[in-house]
Amino acid sequence: MALREKAWFPIFFMFVITLCLSAVIILFGSITRQRVKDNERIAYERAVLQALPIELPPRATPSQIHNVYITNIQEADASSAGALKYIKDDSLVAYALPLAGPGFWASIKGLIGIAADLRTVTGIAFYEQNETPGLGGEIVKTEFRTQFRGKKVAVKGVPLEILPATAELDENSVHAITGATQTSNRLGSFMNEQLAAWRKGMNNQP
Amino acid sequence: MIPSNKTKDVVLTALWDDNPVFRQILGICSALAVTNLVLNTMVMGAAVVFTTALSGLTVSLLRKWTPRVIRMMVEVLVIAFYVILFDQALKAYWPDMSRNLGPYVGLIITNCIIMGRAEAFANTNPPLLSFVDGLFSGLGYATVLLCVAVVRELLGMGSLLGMPMPFFSSPLWDRWIIMVMPPGAFFTLAVIVWLARTIQVEKDTKKETKS
Repeated sequence: MALREKAWFPIFFMFVITLCLSAVIILFGSITRQRVKDNERIAYERAVLQALPIELPPRATPSQIHNVYITNIQEADASSAGALKYIKDDSLVAYALPLAGPGFWASIKGLIGIAADLRTVTGIAFYEQNETPGLGGEIVKTEFRTQFRGKKVAVKGVPLEILPATAELDENSVHAITGATQTSNRLGSFMNEQLAAWRKGMNNQP
Repeated sequence: MIPSNKTKDVVLTALWDDNPVFRQILGICSALAVTNLVLNTMVMGAAVVFTTALSGLTVSLLRKWTPRVIRMMVEVLVIAFYVILFDQALKAYWPDMSRNLGPYVGLIITNCIIMGRAEAFANTNPPLLSFVDGLFSGLGYATVLLCVAVVRELLGMGSLLGMPMPFFSSPLWDRWIIMVMPPGAFFTLAVIVWLARTIQVEKDTKKETKS
């Protein structure tokens, strides 16, 4: 093949191959883009609802989650110092405060629910994390998350303490995940920082 | 068509004689990284099988046209293409799994098994045979990964596929946290490589004494 001997042929070949393959990827990407966006949105909405005292059916479909979300949740405004609001029968039941900070591998994003008394934790949930599966990744499991429900923030010391699994618990502490000390410590530190800042903001409200 | 005994040869070589993980010690990085939960490992294995098989096919189809000097660039491009497709599909249709595997799906591009098969096999063999070679190399890799994952999830968390197992999830079994952590993968993989090689050595000596 004479064509293959030409000096420009490798460049031409590479160009054509790249063009064809990227075209397929771009096409597939544009087909799935909306879906990926929706998935991210639903993961976020599910986390908001899980942090609040709202019962979701165990296998809720994305549209069910979305419906519950739009009927119950109001976006953050100045009066909530950056937290989302859960309104039921025209009265405010709880806040969902967004949390974000560094984890062990990548950033962790989630929400913590605080009742209208600004004290009682209604739940915690995460929608973005990349911790080690089976270790730090356990923060998304119900076993870890249900511990937070009913705790009282800032009874003493930091708002919510995360203690080693052997420690005795009181009203404002929960157990860390064994084998995931780093994840637990980092989550504890940014959660408390942001909780404290939010409480300060709420207390300064007129 | 390809003679069937040649296909059989390729299959056996890929699965056992030249198993990517325990014979060639390739693809170790992901074998260590994603093997603490069986379900994650299965999806990872599927991704590798998909990529090795189809990239083998594609590289082989292009082999007569690909200039030698840029063949590795083309191979990487083809591999990356399939991996990105798989990654996008996961993100769109199985977002939870996509989150679990994190960056490891994308890292399949640098998995030496796939590049190795493209270089050593698909470059010089017909498309269908390359497809079979890739398919079974991927399966050979996935099988070893699954063995590691079963051991790690069972001993480390007392469950399989997330379901608690009798005895291992009871208080009688003190969970070996180290199995879930990276060192657990090293131990398990080493034991598996050791076992596989011992079996192979025994086979070889038997063959020798016979002849």
